[in-house]
Amino acid sequence: MFSQMLQAGLGDFLYVFIFFLVGLLLPLTMVIINFVLGPRVFGEKRLVTYESGMPPIKTAWMQFGASYYLFALIFLAFDVDVLYLFPVLIAYQKGTGVSELIEFFIFLFLISLAIVYSWRKGVFKWK
Amino acid sequence: MNITQLPYIKDIFAFMGSDLMAAVIGLLIIAVFVPLNVAFLVLVERKVAGHIQLRPGPMEVGPHGILQTLIDAVKLLGKEMVTPGMTDKVLFFLAPILVVVPAFVGWVPISFSPIMQIREMNVGVLLIFSFSSISILSILMAGWSSNNKYSLIGAVRAVAQNVAYEIPLLLSTMSVIIMTNTFRMSEIVNAQSSVWHILYQPVAAIIFIIATTAECNRAPFDLVEAESELVSGFHTEYTGMRFSLFFLAEYTNMVIAASMATVLFLGGWFGPFFPGLIWFVIKVYFLIFVVMWVRWTYPRLRFDQLMNFAWKVLIPIALVNLLITAIVLKVI
Repeated sequence: MFSQMLQAGLGDFLYVFIFFLVGLLLPLTMVIINFVLGPRVFGEKRLVTYESGMPPIKTAWMQFGASYYLFALIFLAFDVDVLYLFPVLIAYQKGTGVSELIEFFIFLFLISLAIVYSWRKGVFKWK
Repeated sequence: MNITQLPYIKDIFAFMGSDLMAAVIGLLIIAVFVPLNVAFLVLVERKVAGHIQLRPGPMEVGPHGILQTLIDAVKLLGKEMVTPGMTDKVLFFLAPILVVVPAFVGWVPISFSPIMQIREMNVGVLLIFSFSSISILSILMAGWSSNNKYSLIGAVRAVAQNVAYEIPLLLSTMSVIIMTNTFRMSEIVNAQSSVWHILYQPVAAIIFIIATTAECNRAPFDLVEAESELVSGFHTEYTGMRFSLFFLAEYTNMVIAASMATVLFLGGWFGPFFPGLIWFVIKVYFLIFVVMWVRWTYPRLRFDQLMNFAWKVLIPIALVNLLITAIVLKVI
């Protein structure tokens, strides 16, 4: 029993691993071919970052709008909770009573509070 | 302790033989199919765009321009690869390579027909979702490492948009999974042998299509590479083959998303007269055509509209839909 489960699990990993490896190697080969075939022209202006034709003003690595940060926070609060629902989906119809439904409802209600809270706090308003 | 006494060492080597063979065959098919399919889809996109705007599209290379994109690929192979001076070199190199990985791994659990499936997995649907997050990561890597303001804004938008639309995507998938009680793709399709899920779950299907359109950064949600505001978003600084690798990933992700929609809602390989694979291909390419049609019909959204549409409209509707599904399943 254990060895069968191990086989199934390892087989899945093997497949994903092989596809992952080829997914890395194929683009790498294409980039190398391009590197070999492509011309190399040198010049001062060639390596300048594109900014509508003028010399770039400072670097792009600077402070950024905080609204994005708030969206990332709600996502964390919401999506991690949503992930807990996946095992529930598999087992949901196996039970007979309505207790699953009540628990499911309570859970959905609690995670939707994350949206209600951020809505009231004005996260969705863009200034 | 003797290593041969472990019960499963022998089994590991035994199953490697047959499984390795299946993996290699599947891999060869996918490795040939993916680039050709992208060349085909780019051509179809240009033709559809042309005919919607009452012009013929590419006509010069080959009859009706059917060789255009293949020649474009050869041209891109011969272009110079520029790495600008101010970039973060390692991330700039890694991003276009990493973006292709989910486009390959995503094919593993998809069941094209009763006999054509590379590997049946207990977590098939979840595997595609988890690997699709890698493409967001590499978009962020590309945008950040370019050290270009347009790229950075495009990448940050991409992350905000993708995380926002991932939730309605998951929730609408859940309302199908709660009916079938399995993540195995072939079992989800088999559950639709009489009635397709789109009839039970029309709301979830619409939400799924909208959310995947946004996840693939397609118009009207293509704020990531909005040409009119950000030159071309996160891949502004990329040239040659690395530039086209982003397109390879984008179009392949579109096919994977359409395949998932077909498996979850459109009954996979089921249909009259034709064998299963043909029905699957017809449904997938019909969905892709609809996505292209939408692209050339609707204008682009503003960014705040885009985010608010996900959080204020799609997610509440998807939550309510999931809850109603749960209630109906218990009551009936």
